[in-house]
Amino acid sequence: MKAFLYGVALQWKLDLRNKGILVTYYFVPLLFFLFIGTIFTSINPLAKDTLIQSMTIFAITMGAFLGTPIPLVELYSGDIRKAYQVGGIPLWTGAVNNFISAFVHLFISSLIIYVIAPLAFDAKVPENPYQYFGFLAIFLITCISIGGLLGLFVKSVSKLTMYSQILFLPSLMLSGIMFPADMLPKALEYAGYIFPATWALKILTSPNPEFLWFLPIILIFVATLTLGIYKLARIYRD
Amino acid sequence: MATAVEVINLVKRYENNTVIPGLTISVRQGEIFALLGANGAGKTTTLECIEGIRSYHEGDIRVHGRIGVQLQSSSLLENITAIEAYKLFCLWNKSKIDKETLHSFGIMEFRNKQYRTLSTGQKRRLHLAIALINDPDIVILDEPTAGLDVEGRVSLHKEIRKIRDSGKTILMASHDMAEVESLCDRIAILKEGKLAFLGTADELTGSHFGESKISFRVRNQFPEIKLSYSKLDQSERNYFTVTTTEIADALYELLTLLKEMDNEVLDIKIEHASLEERFIEIAKEGR
Repeated sequence: MKAFLYGVALQWKLDLRNKGILVTYYFVPLLFFLFIGTIFTSINPLAKDTLIQSMTIFAITMGAFLGTPIPLVELYSGDIRKAYQVGGIPLWTGAVNNFISAFVHLFISSLIIYVIAPLAFDAKVPENPYQYFGFLAIFLITCISIGGLLGLFVKSVSKLTMYSQILFLPSLMLSGIMFPADMLPKALEYAGYIFPATWALKILTSPNPEFLWFLPIILIFVATLTLGIYKLARIYRD
Repeated sequence: MATAVEVINLVKRYENNTVIPGLTISVRQGEIFALLGANGAGKTTTLECIEGIRSYHEGDIRVHGRIGVQLQSSSLLENITAIEAYKLFCLWNKSKIDKETLHSFGIMEFRNKQYRTLSTGQKRRLHLAIALINDPDIVILDEPTAGLDVEGRVSLHKEIRKIRDSGKTILMASHDMAEVESLCDRIAILKEGKLAFLGTADELTGSHFGESKISFRVRNQFPEIKLSYSKLDQSERNYFTVTTTEIADALYELLTLLKEMDNEVLDIKIEHASLEERFIEIAKEGR
């Protein structure tokens, strides 16, 4: 247990030292939040109502899809994996440590947005903060598991950038966080429903979200978790 | 002498390509045993099968004791510091941080440097220290000094000798003949996954294997002579070279003939093939 906890704390520290991860977990999402917050709230005062939710979803999606897989690709595709195997470190710890570290970092990023948005842009704070953060945690876990899956399956950082963008950009454009999804052509609007970000926006901006809205997010999480365990088992076997 | 590692009829295939068609070797306790071979000869595959990180198709591997491994191409997360990495491996192996090892390997000097900023030598020393964390009985080193400068090699050789002197068995793969000659008790040369030679460095380079050269200078020139055990070449007026695989018989025959001719030997030198020459010979043709 001591070794595991040390590994988790170490991974959190290593993520802070990793420029690629810092950029995707903190710098770009928070800069984007400040930029969008300034512009959107001056153009459309109604944007203040959903600024916290939309910018948090943006930060989490970006961090989880573009940042979370990086340490996993380094660990599972290279010689580090062998070093862990012969050195007595269980391979699953890499994925689990990375998951926990990413959760903490992205939660901090979300908290920063939650605190700054009302002060800087007079953004509307969610009515029930406990419910908000509870639902946010579900979305966060799902997004990190998607990012983790990318990290387990993709074999190089250059390929990872491509696959991550293929997921991230449509998620950003079709989920409704940049502009209302109902302004999109119907086909694209429906396509947006395959991304957890679309459902998260519905859930986080509604005072009484329906249970059915959670199902796609939960299903995606279960599917990625199953595939992730399968892939880890294969890595062990190989 | 008790056996530390036994590899019995090991067969390893990659798809349809059999890289090790049935290898048998045994490593004795307390010795430094080297696996030599050209690229693709099966050294790393054999070591990885012994280490348990690669499966094999047939045969048996018996390891009598705990093993510690330094891989050929090992790596760690690039922004982890040397001391963090060492501590992480210590914790997972339920071992205490051995400050003496950290000092003797010089790790304390670079303990707070991140892995990506370490020199090749520092990385090798760190990985060797990590390999020793669980106090292994057998230490497996895959090309431990590859990529190191002379100073780095000498320093690492010193550490390897210390490890052996502490009673551990060392099984290593290497490309460096000088390293093998100076460090190893026994050598196995692999060729296409098969054992082409097994013995000591002396046996490998000694007169009873391969060709040796007898160079000598005599007072008087002599007419062409036919030798039964060797071939005679004249390099200069009174300088001759005899190439032979039967050094004792050839030397006896040569000296007897010269004595019969009443010729005086002024200078004589016997040269055995170097380890490198013998290795190339065996790797090319097999014995």
